[in-house]
Amino acid sequence: MSEKNFIIAGFGGQGVLLAGEVLANAFMLAGKNVTWYPCYGAEMRGGTVNCEIVMNDEPVSAVNKKEADFVIALNQASFNKFVSKIKKGGLMIVNSSLAKEIKTRSDINYLFAPITKLAENLGNIKMTNILALGLLAKASKLVSVDSLSHALDTVIPPHRKNLLPLNLKALQIGYEYDLQPV
Amino acid sequence: MTECLVKNNKKVLIKGNYAIAQAAIKAGCECYFGYPITPQSEIGEYMSGKMQELHRAYVSAESELAAINMVVGACSTGAKAMTSSSSCAVALMQEALSYATSDELPVVLVSVMRAGPGLGNIYPSQGDYNQATVGGGNGDYKLIVLSPSTVQECIDLTYKTFYLAHKYRNPAVLLADGLLGQMMEPVEFTDYPYPAIDHSDWALTGAKGRPARKIRSYAPLEGPQCEHVKNLFNKYKLLEENEVMYEEFDVEDADIVVTCFGSLARNVKSAIKTCRAKGLKVGFFRPITLFPFPNRRLAEIAGMTKKILVTEVNMGQMLRDVKLAVNGKVPVSFYGKPVGAWPNVDDIVEAIEKELN
Amino acid sequence: MATQVFDIPKSFKKDMKYTFCPGCDHGVAIRLVAEVLDELGLKEKAITATSIGCSVTLYDFLDIDAIEAPHGRALAEATGVKRARPDKFVFTYQGDGDFASIGLAESLHAALRGENLSAICINNTTYGMTGGQLGPTTLLGQVTTTSPTGRNVEYYGYPIKIAEHVALCDGCAYSARVSLDSIANIRKAKQAIKKAFEVQIQGLGFGFVEILSTCPTNWKMTPEQAHARVRNEMMPVFKPGVYKDVTVQE
Repeated sequence: MSEKNFIIAGFGGQGVLLAGEVLANAFMLAGKNVTWYPCYGAEMRGGTVNCEIVMNDEPVSAVNKKEADFVIALNQASFNKFVSKIKKGGLMIVNSSLAKEIKTRSDINYLFAPITKLAENLGNIKMTNILALGLLAKASKLVSVDSLSHALDTVIPPHRKNLLPLNLKALQIGYEYDLQPV
Repeated sequence: MTECLVKNNKKVLIKGNYAIAQAAIKAGCECYFGYPITPQSEIGEYMSGKMQELHRAYVSAESELAAINMVVGACSTGAKAMTSSSSCAVALMQEALSYATSDELPVVLVSVMRAGPGLGNIYPSQGDYNQATVGGGNGDYKLIVLSPSTVQECIDLTYKTFYLAHKYRNPAVLLADGLLGQMMEPVEFTDYPYPAIDHSDWALTGAKGRPARKIRSYAPLEGPQCEHVKNLFNKYKLLEENEVMYEEFDVEDADIVVTCFGSLARNVKSAIKTCRAKGLKVGFFRPITLFPFPNRRLAEIAGMTKKILVTEVNMGQMLRDVKLAVNGKVPVSFYGKPVGAWPNVDDIVEAIEKELN
Repeated sequence: MATQVFDIPKSFKKDMKYTFCPGCDHGVAIRLVAEVLDELGLKEKAITATSIGCSVTLYDFLDIDAIEAPHGRALAEATGVKRARPDKFVFTYQGDGDFASIGLAESLHAALRGENLSAICINNTTYGMTGGQLGPTTLLGQVTTTSPTGRNVEYYGYPIKIAEHVALCDGCAYSARVSLDSIANIRKAKQAIKKAFEVQIQGLGFGFVEILSTCPTNWKMTPEQAHARVRNEMMPVFKPGVYKDVTVQE
């Protein structure tokens, strides 16, 4: 399989880096080569945050790629920043709770889902990031819920393990969300 | 911090900075002294907890001046000791590094480059090639410099940095960059593979049953100083003969060979694969030891190819060493930028194609 | 009564040659250090981090292991030595420029961390080795090569009172200022050095002695005049005394 790269973007506090780490671990657990690379604004709080995950059967080449195969945009600023960076035929997963459902390009696929709303319905707004991974798993077919579940178990530290069941549920809800790519 | 310990083919997903810190622990580092600076603070953070847990020495030093001199002090007893820092703060350590070369002490410095000059910013850069290989300290001296390009190499070369520093009793630098420090990749921690070095014949341990030892760089007379520096350079010659490391592929039939160091190699490798797929004859050469620099191999390559392109995320620092090695045999050109996102694969392909036209 | 023999301390090098200027107190101070090393049986486990300035030559006099630190960094290097080898006895011997000007951060932070180290600082109110420039302890009004009309506040500010500053550090176990201007004071100085060494051995923290000393050459005085200056000009400003001693607190 050729190299695939993913960008997860949002504002500080949305768990963007953690979602990336879970995804990277899932690829590793599935035996892939993978690189995770973060990008923060200069400020400690409140800025936009994103990370890039590159996955390959061969050793991973470069990060900071010109274009991405998949982008998860958890807010409007991230949508605006990355919509032009998606490869032709690539997919953008958009959190429609915090971004407008406007398709600015015709050569990429969009998947709009009210991810924050879904997380709120689940009872914890902090599950937004993991819900998004569920959506990505279904839409990309490049990572399984099983790998992601194992990855979650790996990444969540021992003193937070009580949150694992809720995270797994968020993953499932994201995965089972009626996709209907537009 | 995130340190994932679930095993999959013995691999763990880990950030470059944590990989370096954990490798230092496994290499038997007895003392860590440090002062925070982005983008390497995770190393000190990790060491602060781990060293205390293992009852090894750790000090949050009051400055980089203090930190590096604490390392010098610890090394004077033969201990495995290190500090880690970045760019403008490594600048503060130059005096002590000069002393430590003269004192022949096995100082280990991890230098995770950010952008400069001055305070610059925290974006990745390779602007401290000269700082590491040429140095800003006074006098005739060399530092051993190793340059990783993946998180796995951060581990393997941290081991090697400790080994070479102790084997040759010379300060050694692991020259990483902000990109490597912050990126996570699956890695495998092998055990420290090198033999222990016996320092009992010179280390300061108290003058019990032997004459007192003085570790000093002050040599009031011309003759002994001259002799001392010549001896240092005999040691550097040994390093050049025995410890050169590099990576290369596709150089035999290449019309152009692209050279680079550190994590930029990842992008360059992809670019070369792209070029080869297009039928272009492009080769790859990466010095892993920046000192000792692979002069001999580069000179051989210059005899095989028609052109050499140096790519760096600086304004052309390794370029000078490449030119010296190539010694005018073939044209040497440069492609790079001073700071920020590494030139991407397409840009590098374009630069190569431009050179071939 | 046993006969008291005047002898060279065992911690002195056998082939030692005296290299200080006539009337300089470094010779007395280093001898006191050697005597205390002898008396406490520390010679074989002692490691010293020397400084830059006339004080560096301590390693030419004493038959003990030594590392030569860059200017101001003696206590950083001593920290490294002690942390790496806590079973050794580690001390520094520095001038006031080294300890309290370029190395003030290292000095105070070693004291603040409560490093089990002993430090001796020779205060002669000038940079001796470089030819008598104004230093951190130069007295107000004192003429030096860089204060040709005397130290004034407008251009130079004030001298530092080192022993008092060190005593303010919570990690400091002992801080004293002594003088070498008389036999009685030399005896007191030796007791202070001993105390500063003992607190390290007992693991109580940082031990410090500031020694008021002469620099006849740069002061352009005879040894007698120089000691009179210590007594009449320095001691009223830098008052000798014990500023901290955790072993006598109730």
